[in-house]
Amino acid sequence: MTRTAKTFTLLGLAGFVLITLVPFWWIASMSFKTYEQIQFATSIYIPRPFTWENYTALLTSTRFPLWLKNSLVTAVVVTAITTVIASLAGYAVARLRFPGRESVASLILILYLVPPALLFIPLYRVLAELGATNRLAALFLSYPTFTVPFCTWLLIGFFKALPTELEEAAFVDGAGRVAALTRVLLPLAAPGIVASAIFAFTLSWNEFLYALVFIQDETTVTVPVGLNLLIYGDVFSWGQLMAASVITTLPVVALYIFIHRWMVEGLAAGAVKG
Amino acid sequence: MIRARAHRDTGAAFLFLLPLLVLVVGLIAYPFARALWLSLTDKYVGYPERFVGLRNYLYLLHDDTFHEVVRNTLVFTTGSLALKVVTGLAMALVLNSVWRWRSFFRGLFLLPWITSTVIIALTWRWMFDAFPGRGFFNSVLIDLGLLRRPIAFMADPAGAMLAVIVANWWRGFPFFGVSYLAAMQAIPGELYDAASVDGAGARERFWHVTLPGLKHVIVVTLVLSFLMTINDFNIIYVMTRGGPGTATQVFATYSYEVAFNQLRWGRGVTIPIFLVPVLVVGIVLVSRYLLRERAAP
Amino acid sequence: MADHHVSRHVSRRKFLAGAAGASAVLALPGLGFPQVKKGAHLRLWILKTYVEPTNKAIEASAQRWAQSHGATVTVEYFTFEDMQTKYVAAIENRNTPDVGQLETGAPARFAGMGQLLELTSFARQIEGQVGKLSANVAPVAMADGKMYAVPWYILAAFWYVWRDVFEKNGVKLPTTFAEAKQAAQALNRPKDNFYGMGQSWNRTADGYGVMQSLMYSHGVGWAGKDGKYKSIKTPAMQTVMRWATDIYKEGLQPADTLTWTGSGNNENFIAKNIAQTSNGPSITFALENAVAKATDAADRKRKEEALANHLALPHPGGPDGRRMWAIAMSFGIFKNSKDPDAAMSLVAHLLSPEETLSVMRDSSGQFAPVLDKARAAAQDYFNKNENYRTFGRAAEWFVATGWPGPVTAAAAEVQATNVLTDAPAKVIVDKWSVEQAIDWEDKKIKEVYGTLGA
Repeated sequence: MTRTAKTFTLLGLAGFVLITLVPFWWIASMSFKTYEQIQFATSIYIPRPFTWENYTALLTSTRFPLWLKNSLVTAVVVTAITTVIASLAGYAVARLRFPGRESVASLILILYLVPPALLFIPLYRVLAELGATNRLAALFLSYPTFTVPFCTWLLIGFFKALPTELEEAAFVDGAGRVAALTRVLLPLAAPGIVASAIFAFTLSWNEFLYALVFIQDETTVTVPVGLNLLIYGDVFSWGQLMAASVITTLPVVALYIFIHRWMVEGLAAGAVKG
Repeated sequence: MIRARAHRDTGAAFLFLLPLLVLVVGLIAYPFARALWLSLTDKYVGYPERFVGLRNYLYLLHDDTFHEVVRNTLVFTTGSLALKVVTGLAMALVLNSVWRWRSFFRGLFLLPWITSTVIIALTWRWMFDAFPGRGFFNSVLIDLGLLRRPIAFMADPAGAMLAVIVANWWRGFPFFGVSYLAAMQAIPGELYDAASVDGAGARERFWHVTLPGLKHVIVVTLVLSFLMTINDFNIIYVMTRGGPGTATQVFATYSYEVAFNQLRWGRGVTIPIFLVPVLVVGIVLVSRYLLRERAAP
Repeated sequence: MADHHVSRHVSRRKFLAGAAGASAVLALPGLGFPQVKKGAHLRLWILKTYVEPTNKAIEASAQRWAQSHGATVTVEYFTFEDMQTKYVAAIENRNTPDVGQLETGAPARFAGMGQLLELTSFARQIEGQVGKLSANVAPVAMADGKMYAVPWYILAAFWYVWRDVFEKNGVKLPTTFAEAKQAAQALNRPKDNFYGMGQSWNRTADGYGVMQSLMYSHGVGWAGKDGKYKSIKTPAMQTVMRWATDIYKEGLQPADTLTWTGSGNNENFIAKNIAQTSNGPSITFALENAVAKATDAADRKRKEEALANHLALPHPGGPDGRRMWAIAMSFGIFKNSKDPDAAMSLVAHLLSPEETLSVMRDSSGQFAPVLDKARAAAQDYFNKNENYRTFGRAAEWFVATGWPGPVTAAAAEVQATNVLTDAPAKVIVDKWSVEQAIDWEDKKIKEVYGTLGA
């Protein structure tokens, strides 16, 4: 690599590191400031004195721990539901032969693109008819409407990319469809399935609009809506809000550091490369 | 032998697709049909709905706020997309030429994309804040001596639009970058070698080899992101509530306001339905593209 | 179009009549106090405000009722932010609570939908125990001449000023909007990042609330005494709109004022970036809290000075008198309640002077009772200092949405559509003329009344 190319790369790298990290650092630093420091702008860039008071207040005097639990339960349940439905459907579209296969593939793509903003009002009424509003069940039912199409689409790509010979070999050995799927294809598609599960988890963990509309009880809401509850009409507890943001972001980041390679491959293989 | 029997898996396929079908019919198609029906009624919260034909549609066509909503949404969407493509390409180029720790940096740059949108919106509200010592840009500019008094970004229609575009860009550019990187790495090295032999410099290689190789993925990311951005709710709801005035009001936030503040569900649900034709065009485009690619060996 | 409006109007009326009939059947049978069956269970929705002790006190009061009646009460909170969404959701879902706190325009809206139990006779029954409503607050609870809620308190706005700043500059404390603007001109020092005023036209009560106070104090209302639409294309409205926009055009406020949410003016006032702003007592609450949290003697002295120097004046008046719009919180009972008797018993308990005072004492002055018995009993509390004496008078100046007419669903919708504050924003941001903005606002208001009836 030439010297200029190297310089450009380093500059670019530094630029993107700044773009990525500065906003994170800004909220993290706010979360370690006292109310006074924020209100009177006493230590702008680095919290001095450094305080944990926002964190302790958040964890002891608000319902944040409960919201975290709700978010976690929702994300896990939705991920499980999504993974099952999407794996089955993805496999069927990628590997099975049946009339209308192409239309199913298009349908999944269309579903992936139906915006929540279009559905939140009527979906609310449907959930009400099912008696599912104001409970986490509302989210278990509604989140798959966007996680399943997305993950199915991802998995179609994965299953397609796997060599057919393996499956055919399994048939030759006398295994049925289900056995071929569970014994041969699933292990091979594991990276794709994990990737799609992580997507489902992240999408549920971060969802806001449905949670805002479908759940009213303060003990049942998830973190993103809970964050809004920390904003009491007239007074923002900015420090607590930022502390909550930090705590909420950390698990996803941690999860992600371990498996981001799979996720990236999932993105590349499933969503984009086709 | 297998290929000859095109229908042999129909039973299994039906079983495997059944859960998806239930979900689609019960929780997507049926609510969607309800949305269409509601848009033809005068449904007002707490009152029974009555059929009014196309009155909601006609009303919105003549509503000056709705006209502004259409304009805002277009600016918001195109602005975000343009920024995302450019920075996505830059990010991919940089990562592609990093010689070590590439996957570490790729992971790092993806962080905004996995962060909750509500948190992103709150963060950027702070970044652009004009309150002394609280807004990042104002603090830095003032401390560098470039500014004497804080700029009230969000008080100005253009500034507020800029702020929400930047927040949306920050959330989305990593996805673009990672997708472009993957596609870049799939471009055969021989193409670059051949170009170099023909005497092409770095710039020519970018224009004549890299970009054509990325054409497909650029189209796909653009269309996908277009469809997501045009329907965005979270960023604007949390950052500006559509303000100042109605300067950043977009489809989803306007729909929410009409449905939940004005209680007019019929009209509220009609607003996003205006986007359905756009969605259909986008979907047809992207599905042709994607399905064709997938059909290819 | 016109024909359609008429027919819709009639059908809504019929709908209302049907609803009223149904509620009459459900209403209390004979005299005597509602009997509570053992094991009753109620859901109570209350507003969660920034003053956390108040929320706890209301919850504690409800639990006292539950204990003495062998019942259970589940308390659920809503905030200013999600109040609207929650009630809308609950109504469409038939999942309304038994008892809900309702803000100023809500009883009219929800009664129109047939959601609320008529409480006229109940209110009369408990009047001896809880006291009477003053005439200016009563409209909040009425629809079509019947009572659908019982008001409990108002969360009023006051005109906060820094007394030391006014004194140092020899500026008179304002009693009218015109004087407030003159004071702002006299105190404005943009070079030092200090501004004469901070009034945002935002989508919170700090925006549409102050706008209504400004309009009503100038004698401008968008409805007549009969609750029907009335044009606002008047010279008085021009004065209003000019005041609302000149404070921006003349640079009397920080540049980001228009973007403030509910907390923006609190923060800027407390940081002493502005000389005056309209706000609820949350500023006093914050300053009192700051003293309690002082770290050392010097810090304490500084904070005590700030507390002593901040002054809450009565909200400014106008050429037509002093009229202050405020958030009035009432209790309503939803028809969906399985146990309306228990619900009434709970409401009567919460409204009683003793319980009202127990909540008020934990409110830092934001909770101004409106029933006369509680008001009389509250006098000691509000004698704490000058600011509290002003807080205690809130109910005197109160007027409700849609003044001078009754609170109607249409009036409430006008407030909810945000036209009141979007109109000045159009002048400030989009450089419309004052007349243009008034025309636009008038058109929007007329449209709401046209499709919703009066």
